Amino acid sequence: MSFFDNHLLNLVVFLPLLFAALVLVLPASEAGQIRTVTLIGMLVDAVFGVWAYMRYVPGGPEFQLEYRVPWFEMFGTSYHIGVDGLAVSLLLLTVFLGPLVVMASTTYISHRIKEFHLALLVLQTTMLGALVSLDVLLFYIFFEAMLIPMYLMVGVWGAEDRQMAAVKFFLYTLAGSLLMLVAIIAVYFISAPAGSRSFDYAAIYNGLLDANRQLSACAAGPEGACDSLTGLARTLYTWGPWLFGAFALAFAIKVPMWPVHTWLPDAHVQAPVAGSMILAGVMLKMGTFGFWRFAIPFFPVATQGARPFLAVLSVIGIVYGALMCLAQRDIKKLIAYSSVSHLGYCMLGILAVTAEGATGSAYQMLNHGVSTGALFLLFGFLYERRHTRLMADFGGIAKVMPMFTTAFLIITFSSVAVPGTNGFIGEFLVLLGTFKSDLGAAAGNVHLTAVFGAFATLGVILGAAYMLWMVQKVFFGGLTHRENQHLPDLSLREGVTVLPFLILVLVMGLMPQPFLDRINPSTERFLARARVGTPGATVDPSQVRVEVMSLPSKQTAAAPSAPVPLAAVPSTRQ
Amino acid sequence: MTLADFFQVAPVPPEQLAPSLWLIIALPLLGAFVCGVFGRMLGRANVHLVALSAVAGAFVLSVLAFWATSHTGPGSVEGSRRLLAFYRNPFGIEADFVRYALTYDYGTWFAVGDFRVNFGLAVDHLSGILLLVITGVGFLIHLYSTSYMEHDDGYWRFFAYLNLFVAAMLTLVLADNLVLLFVGWEGVGMASYLLIGFWYTDPAKAWAGRKAFVTNRIGDFAFLIGTFLLVLLVSAFTRQANTADYAHAGSSAERYVSSLQEKGPVTFKGLEKMAEALVDRGTDQVDLTTPIEAGPLAGYTFGGVMTTALLLFLLGAAGKSAQLPLYVWLPDAMAGPTPVSALIHAATMVTAGVYLFSRMSALLVLSPTAMATVAIIGALTSLLAALIAFAQDDIKKVLAYSTVSQLGIMFMGVGMGIFWAAVLHLVTHAFFKACLFLGAGSVMHGNGDETDIKKLGGLRHEMKWTWGTFLVATLAITGIVPLSGFFSKDAIFHGVHHNHLHGLEWTSSLVYYLGLLIAACTAFYMTRLYLLTFEGPRSKEARVEHAHESAWQMTLPLVVLAVLSVVAAVYAFPLMRSAADGRPQPIFENFLSPVFGAMNRITEGAKTVELDHSVPSFVDYLKAWLVALTGGVSAAFLYLRFFPARVGQPAPAFARAARRAAQNKFYVDELYELIVIRPVKFMSFILFRVVDALLIDTVAVRGTAWVTARVGSALRYVQSGDAQAYAAVMALALLGGVAYALIQVLQ
Repeated sequence: MSFFDNHLLNLVVFLPLLFAALVLVLPASEAGQIRTVTLIGMLVDAVFGVWAYMRYVPGGPEFQLEYRVPWFEMFGTSYHIGVDGLAVSLLLLTVFLGPLVVMASTTYISHRIKEFHLALLVLQTTMLGALVSLDVLLFYIFFEAMLIPMYLMVGVWGAEDRQMAAVKFFLYTLAGSLLMLVAIIAVYFISAPAGSRSFDYAAIYNGLLDANRQLSACAAGPEGACDSLTGLARTLYTWGPWLFGAFALAFAIKVPMWPVHTWLPDAHVQAPVAGSMILAGVMLKMGTFGFWRFAIPFFPVATQGARPFLAVLSVIGIVYGALMCLAQRDIKKLIAYSSVSHLGYCMLGILAVTAEGATGSAYQMLNHGVSTGALFLLFGFLYERRHTRLMADFGGIAKVMPMFTTAFLIITFSSVAVPGTNGFIGEFLVLLGTFKSDLGAAAGNVHLTAVFGAFATLGVILGAAYMLWMVQKVFFGGLTHRENQHLPDLSLREGVTVLPFLILVLVMGLMPQPFLDRINPSTERFLARARVGTPGATVDPSQVRVEVMSLPSKQTAAAPSAPVPLAAVPSTRQ
Repeated sequence: MTLADFFQVAPVPPEQLAPSLWLIIALPLLGAFVCGVFGRMLGRANVHLVALSAVAGAFVLSVLAFWATSHTGPGSVEGSRRLLAFYRNPFGIEADFVRYALTYDYGTWFAVGDFRVNFGLAVDHLSGILLLVITGVGFLIHLYSTSYMEHDDGYWRFFAYLNLFVAAMLTLVLADNLVLLFVGWEGVGMASYLLIGFWYTDPAKAWAGRKAFVTNRIGDFAFLIGTFLLVLLVSAFTRQANTADYAHAGSSAERYVSSLQEKGPVTFKGLEKMAEALVDRGTDQVDLTTPIEAGPLAGYTFGGVMTTALLLFLLGAAGKSAQLPLYVWLPDAMAGPTPVSALIHAATMVTAGVYLFSRMSALLVLSPTAMATVAIIGALTSLLAALIAFAQDDIKKVLAYSTVSQLGIMFMGVGMGIFWAAVLHLVTHAFFKACLFLGAGSVMHGNGDETDIKKLGGLRHEMKWTWGTFLVATLAITGIVPLSGFFSKDAIFHGVHHNHLHGLEWTSSLVYYLGLLIAACTAFYMTRLYLLTFEGPRSKEARVEHAHESAWQMTLPLVVLAVLSVVAAVYAFPLMRSAADGRPQPIFENFLSPVFGAMNRITEGAKTVELDHSVPSFVDYLKAWLVALTGGVSAAFLYLRFFPARVGQPAPAFARAARRAAQNKFYVDELYELIVIRPVKFMSFILFRVVDALLIDTVAVRGTAWVTARVGSALRYVQSGDAQAYAAVMALALLGGVAYALIQVLQ
């Protein structure tokens, strides 16, 4: 057991924080040094992140690279981290974006440079932490901590209306997550009897599992089958939908699903290029990730009831988001609304509860991070040159910025899911999964499935319509504004920043299987757990239970007479 | 070695060539990459060299692949020969061989759950002939472009896009499954978008590119849903089929299911087997009328879902092949450089729909409804486009509508089950229409980019090569006897007339007589185009005094294509004998028979379509020839005698109204604008203003904030800091409590 076996994830998560400490001691006037140190930190972190991704064995146990030590045992919590296939994929996306975000901000940010880079590094740690947390309370802490640096980023380095956007972003998301905190605590109390309570993901999930099975049986059973429920199942029967609602609302705001999406356009429009990239690239995925990891597995029966409703919201999100794009004059707002549409696909794929849908959804999360991240990045370059976001202020700039145009077009094709680019794989799988799903049956009529699918597929047309419309307005036609006549093309630094995105668009489009292989095992487990709530579904029991490492025996610091740790029942595997 | 031996033995045997099939796609792709990334550094001549050699290399490989599909070795008996180009059908029984074909599977592209798509490439006679057309005509057009684009600074971009297009188109025809086909399908759409908007500084041209892409996307929307339905159908089929079903199709449950796991549900071979099994033979479990038991399609019949899927594919094909209701993008696509129009919008990309239906012929013949719809859509589109072409004065617009019209004829053939003739017409049309477009390009090049035929004229003496080749191609498309267009078109009409769809017999005559009308119209507008451009005196409004003939890079492709449009007629001659019953059979029908084997077996079993294999008689030929002649002669009369004699006299009102309507394309674009585009734009605007900005953001979100703030400020008044007021409240509360307690006690 080398150091890295135990601590690889710790390194990935906390390296940015370490470099933040380094940046902290640098003098604020040394802008170049601060940027370099931050960039190096992000690069080193990326190296370790890629290493972690490589070390994840697709056929192995669910959670890998686990690390667990006691931490606030009186609450039944522990410092427990580990990754499954989805988390490690999103982790890869996060560390991939890290250095590029720093490079994108080199000239964009001109004041409070030190604070900005501190915020970036702290944000990186919190996002990575949320992805790897296997303790629900730990997850919540990271999930909330994320808001602070992002709030500062929008509020301090944003555009003209930054204060309003920052406050709106903060309150909107906080409102949802506070409800979730209540739900987390409630789940903590009900999932186990007093004395063995724990915030650990596995403990809570396994604690609720039996009750969920009973509930599912009663939902499928004859009239009155639910009257004989006892204990936890009874509680879940009454309160499960509410608890699920609290989780779902918090994550739905984060995704964002229609109709709780209105913070996103404002935040994106006002945020600096780094903020937009991270927001679109990683933070939105916390919502979908939350549904996948927490909301749906914890409450499969409530999910089953809410699935048609949520799927309708997702489909509305897809079509509505695309229609919104057609009504925009502001380029950043258009890209923000296109995120609403794309995340609608992610949610629909998860809610389809089919292998194709869920894997496609996870892949779409990565794609969206790459393509929308790149769109914001490229637009950031343009904004630096012209300081305007309106389409009407551009036109014909393909003539003066050919390389920039080429890059933007490739990313556009990825965003509208042209086959051969990454977008196609995700969208195709999500739509196929929707068509194969039992969403129609859950909504009361099997044939509704095709209706869900057909409406979602409309996004294919609308996506092309709005993206190419924007491209047309900005890049083609004559040079209508004198200010645009001497715009410089991509500089070397900008080119180097964009290039990884372009490469990834093609690599993920042509060779998706290595990525899918890591997602697939997580998909299967997710499906099994979600299907616990589907009446009459056959569920492979070996896929359902969450198996994690147990809390290591007490360190020497603990008194020998201390009571048995609350979280860990003394067995090797829970 | 005799000549026959030479042609029957491929230079590279199939088993050696198959693993290298990917090179056919990779070469143009590499060319696109080099030209696109390093083009400006390389300079014009090097870009030409790279682009041309990439396509030439693909052409050579295509020839080798095509050759390999007929590779034979010495047979067991002295002098006999044995076919060596075959592979085992993975979905069939052990002894089920796909003959005259080679295939190679490069492994998984993506696999999730029980869905999988492989990088599988296959060459059979259908895709082989298309490979030759794409790379051959593609090479000629690349050569032509070197001269045509000689004054354009974006030459490197142009050749990069052109190579990219060729690569995508080759992917489309080489794919052995629907999803990989879709890669090419959208890839050609993307390349076409880039090339139509090549001169992007003109907003109209850039808009035309976007219109093409979005219209195609409407088709792709249907294509995707059709694909999903087929995936569902395959899974329903494997769930419900019994041994007899599989046995009828020449397969077994184990082989079929295990091949599905290996190759995925959307391979053409697998779909073909399912189609064969769906034929009702009495002892089977599933046929077209069987209801699906489980899944999202539960309750629908196999046949119903199949028809729906095929109709969706028809919409998809209508997008790509410019048929009703999605043909509107093609005329606008003429905004692109002329070689692009020749390659993409005449010879190759737009025929993708015909290729798709030929590839899926086994499925199509299961549904007479879908077939009739295909044929009728084709006939109506063809007629409409021909009528519009009557009144267009732009040389490229006339050719564009003529392309739409000819594609309609191919759809008629496909819809009525005469697949080989449709494919033959695809090939001959590629020759003569590419020749026409390139001729038009040559005319424009020599006349200062003039496209209005009213301002040309008299070019016969000034551009001899262009004139000669244009004349040959015009005669070919018009359908004058010894040229290829006559035979391929007549083969379609003959088949349309004699094939019958079960339950929908009336379509045969309807489509046939419409077809004759279309043939006359074609002759009319093509003759008009030719006469106005090349005959008569030079127009007084001409841009340049004297047109100049183009360089050899432009005339050589014209000559080659003109020759091809003559000699391709040979394919339609009934020189072969049918393998089944020894009747005379056109060469091309015989040549494509291995491709359409499953289709033929299904039509014999299912009786959904009655296919006629007779050869047109002399009388049939005469009829068709007379029809074409009528159209041509009336155009000649009108434009050489009638109109010149009436110069200065106003035309009657009805004639002017009809002409105006046709000139404005019967206002179809305006209609779409009114019923689709504007409502969508309006709805998005209203939704944004009312739902997003007002209801959600202002009322719900800011409303919550506002209410919170109001409640807060209201409560502020309670916290006055006045100790007496607090004491009063306390006293009152205490009093109330006491009173309540007293009441409780007293009760």
